[in-house]
Amino acid sequence: MSRTETGEFKIVFTGPMGAGKTTAIAAISEVEPVRTEVENTDRVAHAKESTTVGFDFGRITLADGSVVRLYGTPGQVRYRFMWDILGRGAAGVIVLLDAGEPGALVQLDVFVDAFIPHVAHGALVVGVGRTDAPNTPSTDAFAARLDARGLVAPALSAAAREQGGVMARVRTPVSIHGSHSAHGLPA
Amino acid sequence: MSSMRPAKLSRELARKVLEGYGEVAGVQCAVLFSSDGFEIASHAADTAASARLAAIGSSLAALGTALAGEAGLGNFERTTIESDGGAVTIMRVGSSRSMSLAVVAGKDAVLGQLLWATQRCCQALAKLLDP
Repeated sequence: MSRTETGEFKIVFTGPMGAGKTTAIAAISEVEPVRTEVENTDRVAHAKESTTVGFDFGRITLADGSVVRLYGTPGQVRYRFMWDILGRGAAGVIVLLDAGEPGALVQLDVFVDAFIPHVAHGALVVGVGRTDAPNTPSTDAFAARLDARGLVAPALSAAAREQGGVMARVRTPVSIHGSHSAHGLPA
Repeated sequence: MSSMRPAKLSRELARKVLEGYGEVAGVQCAVLFSSDGFEIASHAADTAASARLAAIGSSLAALGTALAGEAGLGNFERTTIESDGGAVTIMRVGSSRSMSLAVVAGKDAVLGQLLWATQRCCQALAKLLDP
């Protein structure tokens, strides 16, 4: 269905600034990732020193031999044009969110709205980090938010640096995609 | 750490430098932007257009940097997008990686003139950054 012309799957990591997209791709890519990070001059939006303004690119081979191309988007809304370029033809979109950031549930809506048109034939997975921080919404709150929108999409909890957690998120859209299930589609 | 913050550059002085594009045939607008896509100064572009040009320009500069690095060709200097309606050139300002300039020109512009004017403009902006 959404394999690329070379028979590979394309998975897109998206989500707001500082959610861990670049880190997640670096954690699992079997090749040195392509990065387009520059100095972050907007420390009000996020305190981190650098930010991705083009895209990240990595590659992994799954146990069954499928090759998955991993793309990471910039997180700021002013890079919306890159979201649409990168989302095209994706077999799966992984929305990474930091539960410890204020407005994480609203951010979920922003990215779901932007990427739903691109995953009509693929899958949407939500990865939530820092759910253990005090006074943060739980993974269930994110799942309920998706459910309220009539979306069947798994909301998983894992830290961006944990290879196992990232791999679970990548395998989810690939396996959903492989089984032609309707996950991630509006019900 | 962040000694290269574009805030150190006077936006007013930068805008004055960009006004020089009023003399260059075919140039429609020019936007100076930070490497993370914020407009610093502009010439003949409305706010919405310059914000978009700044974001897209910063992505292209970052991709240019990644491509030059991948090919082992050193630092990104400039890239020019040519289309059937004209050209956009994106040039790094000075030796810092903190800002670039995007200049949009119509079909009536001469590419060599556009590149030459842009190089001179970037040199003038670099002097403002590091007098």
